[in-house]
Formats: sequence, C-alpha cells, structure tokens
Amino acid sequence: MQFEENIKVAIRGLIEHKFRSFLTMLGIIFGVASVIAMLSIGEGAKREAIAKYQDLGVNNIIIRDKDLSDSELEEMRARFSQGLSLTDAEVIKDLVPGVERIASQSELSREIQFADKTARSTIIGITSEYADILNYETDKGVFISADHYDRELKVCVLGAGIVQTLFQGRDPIGQMVKIEDQWLEVIGTLQSKTLFTETVGELASRDLNNDIFIPLTTFHQRFEPGNRLASELKQITVQVQNSNRLLESSELIRNILDRHHYNNQDYSIVIPYELLKQEEKERRIYNFLLGAIAAISLIVGGIGIMNIMLATVMERTREIGIRRAIGARKADIMSQFVTEAVAISITGGIIGVIMGVSLSLIISLFTDVTTFIRLYSIFIAFGFSVVVGISFGYLPAKSAANLKPIESIRYE
Amino acid sequence: MLIEIRNLDKNYIMGEIEVPALIDVNVSIKQNEYVAIMGPSGSGKSTLMNILGCLDTPSGGNYFFNDVDVSSLNDDQLSAMRNREIGFIFQSFNLLPRMSSLHNVELPLMYAGILKNERRERAINALERVGLADRMGHKPTELSGGQRQRVAIARALVTNPGILLADEPTGALDSKTGDEIMNLFDELHREGNTIILITHEQEIADYAHRTIFLKDGKIFTDEPNKRFKK
Repeated sequence: MQFEENIKVAIRGLIEHKFRSFLTMLGIIFGVASVIAMLSIGEGAKREAIAKYQDLGVNNIIIRDKDLSDSELEEMRARFSQGLSLTDAEVIKDLVPGVERIASQSELSREIQFADKTARSTIIGITSEYADILNYETDKGVFISADHYDRELKVCVLGAGIVQTLFQGRDPIGQMVKIEDQWLEVIGTLQSKTLFTETVGELASRDLNNDIFIPLTTFHQRFEPGNRLASELKQITVQVQNSNRLLESSELIRNILDRHHYNNQDYSIVIPYELLKQEEKERRIYNFLLGAIAAISLIVGGIGIMNIMLATVMERTREIGIRRAIGARKADIMSQFVTEAVAISITGGIIGVIMGVSLSLIISLFTDVTTFIRLYSIFIAFGFSVVVGISFGYLPAKSAANLKPIESIRYE
Repeated sequence: MLIEIRNLDKNYIMGEIEVPALIDVNVSIKQNEYVAIMGPSGSGKSTLMNILGCLDTPSGGNYFFNDVDVSSLNDDQLSAMRNREIGFIFQSFNLLPRMSSLHNVELPLMYAGILKNERRERAINALERVGLADRMGHKPTELSGGQRQRVAIARALVTNPGILLADEPTGALDSKTGDEIMNLFDELHREGNTIILITHEQEIADYAHRTIFLKDGKIFTDEPNKRFKK
C-alpha cells in the first residue's frame, strides 16, 4: 500500500474519532506550547540583557569616579589623588594601544525649568565623541558636536522623559530652558531609552530618560560642583577596536590610573561585555532547566499518545482482523498505526505552536516578562513532537500488527 | 486442480495437551466447483475454513492452492494470498462501520496497490454486480442486513479471487433475505466463480453441488449433492 494511502486512512481515522483524537493530542498540545513559551521567555531575557549591554557598548570600558562622602573626598585629596580628570583621559588615549575613541563626562543633579514647569534631571557634560561611542541618536534636532564643545555654547539635548514633563507635546527645539541661573537652548531631543532598572556592575540604576546633555566645556564653565574638591570628571568611556582585548586594555588602564591616582582606589572599572558574558553563563543553567521541564512535558504527552493508542488497539481488534483478512500485511497495519500517531502529534504540534505563540504574546502583554519567539524554537518543538509521535506510536502499532488475524476477526 | 489438500493435520495446544482439530484430511476442489462444508460445531469446519482462507497454516500435511504450497508461505505471502485469491464472506459481514460501502469495497484493492481511479471503477462495478449501485455512499450502519452482506460479497468479488469463501453467510439474515443471498451465490457460480460454503444448515448446504461432511476432525462423507436446488 502506498504511503499517501496510509496518510489518508490515518487522517480519516482521526476525523472519525474526533473527541478521542483530541484527548490523545492534549499532551502534545501542552508539551509543544510549553516548549515554545519557555524558549521564548529565555530568548526574551537574553535579548533584554543584550539590549541593556548594547546601550553601554560591547566594546567599551567604563571608568567611573567613585561616589565618596565629603570626608573621604578630603582624604583622597590629602593623599594626592585628583580624582578622575581630563588628564587621565588623555594619558589613556596616548598609552593604551587599540583605543578607538574616548569620551569624558561630568554629572550634576539639578532641576530644569521651562515656563512654569520643573523637572529633576541629571545634567551630563560630555565631549563630542560621546554620541558615537554610546550610539546616541536624536529623535529631533542634533546631538552635541565638536563645534558646540569648542565654542562652549549654551546648548542642550534633552532626554525623552524631560521632553514629556516640560513640553507635553510642544516642539522643544529652539526653546530656552533654565538650569540654576543659566539659560540653555534646546538643540535636540533623544528617543525613549529602556529603563535601567537594575544595577550593572558599579553603574547604579537610574532613568536615562531624565538626562540632559550639554558640552563638557560649557558644563565646567557655567556650573559649580556641590563640593569644591569634586573630581573633574565623573566618567571616562573608552572604546577599544577589538572586544577580545577588553581585559588586557582594562588591566593597562588600571595600572595607569593607579599610578596617576597614587594607588588610591577612587575609581572603578566596568566592562559591560564581560558582565554580559557572565550573565549569559548564569542564564544558561536557567535555560537548560526551562528546556528540561518543557521536554519532560512533551515526553509525558508522548506517553499519553501511547496509552490511548494501546487502548484503541484493543478496541479496534476487529477492524485490524478485517483488514488482515482482506490482505493487509503486518507492515500495512504497522504503518497505519504509526501514521496515525504521527498525524496526531503533528496536528497536536500545530495546535501547540499556535497556543505557545499566543501564550508567549499574552505573557509579554500582561506581565513585565519579555518574550521573544525565534523561528528555530517552533521547529524544535514541532520536530520533537513528530519524533515523540513516531517513538511512542511504535509500540501500539507493533501490538496491532502482531494480532493474529483469525482471533481478531472473531473478536467481539 | 485449484485446491489440493493432502493428509492435512491441525493441532491446537490447550495448556499442556495437544488437541487435534483436523486429522488426515484429503480434499480436492476444481475450478468452478460449488462446495458446502458441513458438520456440527467442534467438527473442525471452522479450522478447515481458516486454513483454506490462508488465515492459518496446517500442523502437518500439504495445502496446494494453484500448485502453490501454502504451508510454506510466510506471513506477508499469506497476506498477499488472502488479498488476491480468497474472497471472504462472513456471517457477521465484517465491514468497517465508519466507511462508506464504496470505501469498504475498495479496501482490498488498496492493499493490492491498485491506483485510485482503477480502484474506484472496479469497486463501482462490483457494487453494481450485487445490485447496490444506489447505496455506494451509505455506511454499513445505514444499510439492511441483506444489503450489508451484498456489500461484503462485492468486497470479496472485487479482486477477482480464486475462491469465494463464505462462512455461514445467511446466519444473521431472515430466511427471505437469506434466500436472496443464496440466489446471488448461484448466479456467481454460474458466472464461473468457485464457491466454498461453510454452514451447519442442510437447507443452505443444499444450494451447493457437492457436500463435504466433517465429524470429529475427519471427513465423514464427500459426495455430490443430488438434492441441490435447481
């Protein structure tokens, strides 16, 4: 008998027993759905992490000036360290091989005013390479350029949150905003950034949408730090050409800075890429666990198929006897039952894929868990369900094929 | 000779002891014979039918079908034999209940590997032959007993088998319908089919032209039926 005939016989069998087929499929449906949902949760977490570190730059080394109390600061200065400075940035650029770009920044927490509205924000003074290193793109207008920096212009670029609070839909470009006693012209706005909800290494969590960027020259010229002893810079971001050399470069930077800061540990170094790798390692175990649970549920689904099919072999003894009497070979009966099992698991697989995709959409819509469905996860779940169908359909099929025709045809 | 059975034995193992069901049976059946196999229950007629129908193999002796030694065939070859040479007609019809008459009749051709179009054509012809052209789409449950048996006969005929093997074909039918079915067998016999009828009713056996009477696993009598109807 031809293969396609078998498929037809099997599918006809399934349609003739709709309810039984559905019950048989249930295990596979939930198995496939859970595989897809779980893989999508794992993938979502991975993407979220990558996006987070991408914001920080995978080729970057971030050097932060430590947050110190006034007395600690005094102690550092007494021990000759000037804190993080533009000189440090220059030395790093000169001495560390493979540095692509370097950006310096200073920070102050200040209120910003427009008309009758105020917002709390972080004023960040930056050098012009900042945008290139950290992939900052403006939503409207332009970002701080070398020209703004060199001419110490009183211009600023606003984060999306500030724009929302102060302008509420009006066009901020060209408007003047006030910080302390200084008036600054808005030349650009940023796109909304994902919330920095967790601390990454030494980088504290904060809302990036409340940042205001101005030229570092303007920053130093116009704004007084809270403490006269405060370091010149809050952060230096070093972009290296090759991410393989991040660790070596950071060691070199540490040596240079230790010398310049007279071995005072008043700075910290964060390598986003290393943190990403570490996080990925931790997540691998978690993903493996998710996968294992899903695989178990698929196997349980397969056992369900086997159970019900074994029971139906009993019930269909007479049918098998009739088929054998009119000329079906053992192999024909065998392939009929295996094909039925596969048809059940494929149909269950399709329904499971639909359910799994819906489930992961629902999860990402109604919870704060991010999900992402990769095409391969659908193939894995689907392929696995077919394998389960074949392997768990085999035993019932074999017992059906081995029934003796004389006995089964008289079976009541 | 179409069927040649020589010194055939069949034993069943019941627990520890061997129970003989057929002892030293010798039968020859020619093309286009119409034979009734009779006997009380336990006489071995069902066992003989199973062996004739290639559903079972003998314990000893030989069974030649068209000079092929059936006792030497393996399971697949026996299946092919049943498919091509044996047309079974059962007391309880043994149709697949969820399939239409047409599908039921097509089924043996499907196992014979015949392609869809030819299969359909031959199944339709067979159903027309038994007078059920207008019931092809009906499922067995939607047919009367007599109609069901006609579908079963069409299924047996459709492969043009060497023999039609009917096991109490009227056992589940009222006498009027039974007569109609027996008349159909008469027609099929006249058309050249070889028919073997297993029955315990003299009335039914009288339709055949030769009667083999089994008793205690042995052939008791084997003679032409002088009383056969028509």
